[in-house]
Amino acid sequence: MQLTVNGRLQRVADPQGTLLDLLRDDLALTGTKLVCDRGECGACTVLLDGRTVYACLTLAAACDGTTITTIEGLGAVDGSMNDLQEAFITHDAAQCGFCTPGQLIAAHDLLVRNAAPSESAIVAAMSGNLCRCGTYPKIVRAIQAVAAARRESSATSATPGVPRGA
Amino acid sequence: MARKAKPKAGGFVTTTVEVEGRTETRIVEVPAFEPAPWTTDTPLHIVGTRVPRMDAHEKVNGRARYTADITRPGMLHAVIVRARIARGHIAHFDASAARALPGVYDIMGPGDAPAKTRLFGTEVLYHGQPVAAVCADTLANAERAARAMAISYNHLPFAATFDDAAAPNAPLVKPAGNFAPQSPVVITRGDIAAGLAAADIVITREFRTPVQLHSALEPHGACAEWEGDRLTVWESTQGIFRTRGDVARALDIPQSKVRVIKDYMGGGFGAKNGAGAHTYVAALFAKRMNRAVRCLNDREAEQVDSGNRPATVQRVTMGAKKNGTLTAIQLSADVPLGISGWEGGPAQIYHELYACPNVHSEERFAYINASGMQAFRGPGYVEGAFGLEGAMNALATALRMDPLALRRKNFTKKDPRQGRPYSGNALLACYTEGAERFGWNAPRAPQSGRVRRGVGLAAQVWPTGGGPPSYAHVRINADASVDVLAGTQDLGTGARTVLSQIAAEAIGANLSHVRAIIGDTEHLPYAGNSWGSMTTPSVGPAVRMAAMDAQSQLFQAAAAMLDTTPDMLDARDSRITVRDTDRSMTFADVCKRLGNVMIYGKGSRGPNPANTAINTFGVQFAEVEVHLDTGIVKVLRIVAAHDAGRIINPTLAESQLEGGILQGMGYALTEERILDRRLGMVMNPSLHDYKIPTMADVPQIDAFFVAGADAAANHTGARGIAEPPVIPTAPAIAAAVADAIGAEVLHIPLTPWRVLAAVPARH
Repeated sequence: MQLTVNGRLQRVADPQGTLLDLLRDDLALTGTKLVCDRGECGACTVLLDGRTVYACLTLAAACDGTTITTIEGLGAVDGSMNDLQEAFITHDAAQCGFCTPGQLIAAHDLLVRNAAPSESAIVAAMSGNLCRCGTYPKIVRAIQAVAAARRESSATSATPGVPRGA
Repeated sequence: MARKAKPKAGGFVTTTVEVEGRTETRIVEVPAFEPAPWTTDTPLHIVGTRVPRMDAHEKVNGRARYTADITRPGMLHAVIVRARIARGHIAHFDASAARALPGVYDIMGPGDAPAKTRLFGTEVLYHGQPVAAVCADTLANAERAARAMAISYNHLPFAATFDDAAAPNAPLVKPAGNFAPQSPVVITRGDIAAGLAAADIVITREFRTPVQLHSALEPHGACAEWEGDRLTVWESTQGIFRTRGDVARALDIPQSKVRVIKDYMGGGFGAKNGAGAHTYVAALFAKRMNRAVRCLNDREAEQVDSGNRPATVQRVTMGAKKNGTLTAIQLSADVPLGISGWEGGPAQIYHELYACPNVHSEERFAYINASGMQAFRGPGYVEGAFGLEGAMNALATALRMDPLALRRKNFTKKDPRQGRPYSGNALLACYTEGAERFGWNAPRAPQSGRVRRGVGLAAQVWPTGGGPPSYAHVRINADASVDVLAGTQDLGTGARTVLSQIAAEAIGANLSHVRAIIGDTEHLPYAGNSWGSMTTPSVGPAVRMAAMDAQSQLFQAAAAMLDTTPDMLDARDSRITVRDTDRSMTFADVCKRLGNVMIYGKGSRGPNPANTAINTFGVQFAEVEVHLDTGIVKVLRIVAAHDAGRIINPTLAESQLEGGILQGMGYALTEERILDRRLGMVMNPSLHDYKIPTMADVPQIDAFFVAGADAAANHTGARGIAEPPVIPTAPAIAAAVADAIGAEVLHIPLTPWRVLAAVPARH
């Protein structure tokens, strides 16, 4: 089977496990984290054809022909970051950082679907992503800041922050 | 003002260091010089500023490598097989079916591990205890083999609660007995009977706290690889040197042959303080198979067998005069430790927070057939604060006194246990500023309807002086970039950033030229575990001293180039200027002229000031909403005012406050390990059934710091802050709930059914 991961076509022979196994073990994209392995925590959230899925609950074999975006594909391949990643740094929205890739993908998805989310819309969209360090207040502020900045610049710039893989 | 000990440089002195409530005496080498402290008035440019977390880039772009992300060529995967009974013996162990499965390399069962690893005996002491392990080419193959192992047991009776273990005819929990060696631990001052007799009012309460699970998102794990007789271990740990010592001891090899590396780490919170079964399993298989081996806990193992905050029952009797002056505090506590642990009970804070002349505590520590306790963020004090502060709030109600006024009344100017002065104590200012920002004294509307609001508060104290030994090196490279080397570790707290800020400030470098290199025992000088909120006050002064040493060498070189003397030089933003002139050179200019000279500064943490108590203080206020028909508690607002001396980076420190408050909120409302008494089995070992707070639970949080530098604590003026915000959270929330419903709930977590049961009939 083949699939597109972060803008690059990948051919994979007979994948046996989950999409998370495929990403971490076969493609060495370890930014996506394994925490609960049963869809309880959101740490393995990735985009599949533009929609968020838990990679730990997604069979790799069911991903033939799909387009996947992981944390490594949110910014540019050289490691430079998009505005959401920058905002997570500015607002100190990552402590240990283990849940952060999942948080960022979920936040990215929220802002694609809702350019001006209310605080309760942010909470509703993000509360499936657990953080034990307690960065939640900072994550809310980072998302709000990006939403505001994107609205401000939307008059001049066409599609800010869209990842290559989306 | 605390007296500074003035030991002679170069010799050794005895100093005391408080580690999570335990006072340790240590003999330490006196540093070559003791820098003058950064006081509140010292002009600082980098320390105290809101620098973004310096390792955040790697965390937001997925490039930060955690232990679970480590792969080595030919690496095998190990899985630990765990006991499915609470107490007994392995009657029959048959791994032949597992061994025959594809991809299986090796299996260890009863008797196969060295005795010092304490692994794989035949005796089972708790459900979830490691009894065997398998390694295979893939994790899936290892898991399949683990399931194929045939193990049968002879069952023995067990004890899953304190009462079961302490009963007259209790089953033997473990061969050494049912009580910890020091149990009961009795601490007393004054005359408790006289204190109670002198009281105008006496209250008595029984508080219960649950077992809380650390639930770090990155599980415990290790990757081990041998090269000849040298072993490298990548480990998710709060203590690389302690892990190295554990591994060397267990495998009977010299410490110099063991290298422990920890780069990024997905949370620890006290549960990752040394090597564990996963470490030894990885190292042993790696040796036997001559391949790298990785062993990670799965989520169930992480929730069942990686440490916990033990439950407590606290019976508190408190006596006071009519004016609120405390005359007696008495605690009788029961703590079920699990199968191992130390006597870290709730009593300490009862002896430390208030000026009460008569305090008596008695703690009983029983072993039970369940996984052993570990330190958990504010160990003992978090549990104890729920009882102590709950009793204080009950006393205030009984006295018809403002609970804040009651705390002011009993404020202690000295450490009440030993009469030592504090290095600094701004608790009264915390009370004032916290109350103002919360609106504690604002008039409140009368309550009606089915949803009631309530407010409450609680205070905290925590030993945060840190101390020696801790060493650091600072080197200036040929291009004037600066490396800070310290064998400490960053759990996600921000140690890399804080230590870089201290080094940049002390050396006068541009912060962007400074990098902290930590987490590797092979190349870095010793630092202790990152526990007890100790890293900043322990390692920070060593880093500052190393940076000053490096700067002094740089100045000597620059002085010749600038035709002046070193004492005429200042440095800032990586530029050296000659005082009262317009002459200057950049660090890079100086280094370029020096060529490939490496300037190497050395620093160490000096002894703590003698006869001085070093603590972080604070108070937290909570506002809640309680639904009288459902018992559901919603926390609306937390105001937190803490005094931790100088704050090196306010943004990162506030993140610690917010995170601590949220963990305390989970403890107050939802977090409770359920251990079935008949099966001895954890019933909720998942993140669905064990409920940590989500974003939807977050209240409005206003967390801030009062006071400036604590120059008497150490020469950076900083104390620790990571643990204190957990301590007062649960009692403040419980007080607010009591205020809302007009009745106390003495048992956390404050689940809807516990709250409902407490709602008075008049509602």
